[in-house]
Amino acid sequence: MANYMYEEKEGFDGKKKKVLSGTFDEGKPDTRYDWKEKLATREERIKYLKTALRYWYSNEWYGSEKNKQGG
Amino acid sequence: MSEGKIKTVDRATEELIEKAVKENIKTVFSRSEEVKPCPIGIEESCCKICAMGPCRLPRTKKDTKKDRIGVCGATIDTVVARNFARKVAAGVAAHCDHAREVAETFLKTAQGEAQGFTIKDEVKLLAVALDFNIEVEGRDINDIAIELGEKVLREFGKQKGELVYVNKAPKKRQEIWRRYAVVPRGIDREVVEVMHRTHMGVDQDYRHILLQTTRCALADGWGGSMISTDLQDIMFGTPVPVLGSINLGVLKEDEVNMVVHGHEPLLPELLVTASREPEIRKLAEKVGAKGINLAGMCCSANEVLMRHGIPCAGNFLQQELAIITGAVELMTVDVQCEMQGLMGVAECFHTKLITTSDRAKIEGAEHIEFHPENGLDTARRILRLAIENYPNRRHAVYIPNHKQDTVVGFSHETINYLLGGLFRASYRPLNDNIINGRIRGVAGVVGCNNVRTPHDSGHLTMIKELIKNDVLVLTTGCAAMACGKAGLLTPEAAKEYAGSGLQEVCEAVGIPPVLHMGACVDNSRILVAATAMVKEGGLGDDLSDLPAAGAAPEWMSEKALAIGHYFVASGIFTVFGTTWPTLGSDRVTEHLFKDYEDMFKGMWAYEPDPVKAAHLMIEHIDKKRKALGIDKARERVLFDMAMRRALG
Repeated sequence: MANYMYEEKEGFDGKKKKVLSGTFDEGKPDTRYDWKEKLATREERIKYLKTALRYWYSNEWYGSEKNKQGG
Repeated sequence: MSEGKIKTVDRATEELIEKAVKENIKTVFSRSEEVKPCPIGIEESCCKICAMGPCRLPRTKKDTKKDRIGVCGATIDTVVARNFARKVAAGVAAHCDHAREVAETFLKTAQGEAQGFTIKDEVKLLAVALDFNIEVEGRDINDIAIELGEKVLREFGKQKGELVYVNKAPKKRQEIWRRYAVVPRGIDREVVEVMHRTHMGVDQDYRHILLQTTRCALADGWGGSMISTDLQDIMFGTPVPVLGSINLGVLKEDEVNMVVHGHEPLLPELLVTASREPEIRKLAEKVGAKGINLAGMCCSANEVLMRHGIPCAGNFLQQELAIITGAVELMTVDVQCEMQGLMGVAECFHTKLITTSDRAKIEGAEHIEFHPENGLDTARRILRLAIENYPNRRHAVYIPNHKQDTVVGFSHETINYLLGGLFRASYRPLNDNIINGRIRGVAGVVGCNNVRTPHDSGHLTMIKELIKNDVLVLTTGCAAMACGKAGLLTPEAAKEYAGSGLQEVCEAVGIPPVLHMGACVDNSRILVAATAMVKEGGLGDDLSDLPAAGAAPEWMSEKALAIGHYFVASGIFTVFGTTWPTLGSDRVTEHLFKDYEDMFKGMWAYEPDPVKAAHLMIEHIDKKRKALGIDKARERVLFDMAMRRALG
């Protein structure tokens, strides 16, 4: 906890509060973070499409568009 | 050049304009003072489609009620609508011919005939294959890619039916398009039909001309541009956030500077690969350079910046200025937005100007044509030319000391990931924060630079006003680069410029208040992201229900009109600045600005003042919030057991 930075902000009651500041690492990244690399197999990739991009690749989602169609 | 008139809000640009004036080098900035806009052409009140004219039909100051009719009897409404239609068709043709080049290269890549290209993103390949109803289970990726390439190429020459990507749009939107018979059948067919209908003596009802214009524009947004984006992602990788730097200060005095300028990322990708080869780097050292500095310009820059972090030298109005630094050994240009004036500037320096597309040559420039079969060899040849040219610098080099860190690469897939992680990816947090009012709405601010507006000022003024009012901004093209140079594309910008609600969300997710989504063909990413918001639920069931708006405050190209028109036809209120090309006809303007809202639930507006334009967008966003019933903060009530029982 000792290494954390804090800053003062005004709360909803108008009083000053001490809140946790940024917890990110200092410096700049020298590589890009390609999150898709975590999907190693064809099965995982298809599963990702059916969950993350369910709006187009799955029937299991519940948006207002879908509800109006009785889905 | 006249003193006192502000030409740019970018310091690096200002310094190089001063250098150009001092050295008597003509640039777009000086030429714009010598050539004033034609007063008849600016409102498109001139018909020159047959040899009985040209018929000039400007408004007369004396008799404003007088009918303005050409020799053939064409009304001013027909003339203005035809001119507008042809501009949109030219813009659509540009994006879609880009798409064709990409699709042909994609197919050759899948067939193993494109040197240096591979399928990098299997996830995206599977997604697009599913869009095109291609069986993916148990099949080899090249096999899937070949079938996809063949099917995609058929989209250009299809004569009937509907473009495949139309199915990605919300269902209600598809119904609206079908009601007005504007669903594109085939990409090329819609462009050809606009050209036919606007030929002398064919379609002479402005409303009917504009319907075909709409169908043509949709063939870009939900056709050509989407094809380009998707196939480029498959071949080069879907963008993820990457740190880059931007502005003319990215050029390096002690390295071989090579600028890739244009739009198609095919050759630029191979130049990135080749520039990292040890042999090429050794060659650079041999001529006394410390290395090779590849930099981008215009949308080619956006492409290599968001996929590789290659530095971006600047946007449209900075292309000649990059050469004026005296530090550019070679500039490649392919298609779109390349000024012929580049040649005259290059002749003042040692810079080699190389045209690389079989569709575009510039008189005086060297032509080295890119073909995918030997693409990597071509890239190496061009890099060697740049290296060999390094000792030929004959001017004192002046590189402005201005560059800015920037975070780019927010594809719609990555936004989805950032909002929910890999296994709970979702637009839900964005929708929730719009519903609870932390985020007021979303705006797409895109488009070019135009020398008739102080460089970058329209974009920056508008975008700062929007984010100050808690509107999350999605940006592409030259607008995105303007934001990068001004420091708006870093997470820290939220603290400095955004309203408190947007600031909270940006801090929580770790994103900038302005998201760089790519090049101008990547406006299709905005359409898909907006569709995901609709499908996620809670914000209506059509794109027109979203608290969203679009703008191009510094537009200049026909492509911008095509983009604007497919946004309007997709249900988005869209404001253009600088000038507007239908002002010659009140009825055409009224039709696009008002009737289109009844028909397509999206409409055009024109407002040259970027702050007023931002307020028009905010008003529209508020109107949509009210229609959704999320315009007022509601008190949160914690239900006790008795209240819960009462619900049942």
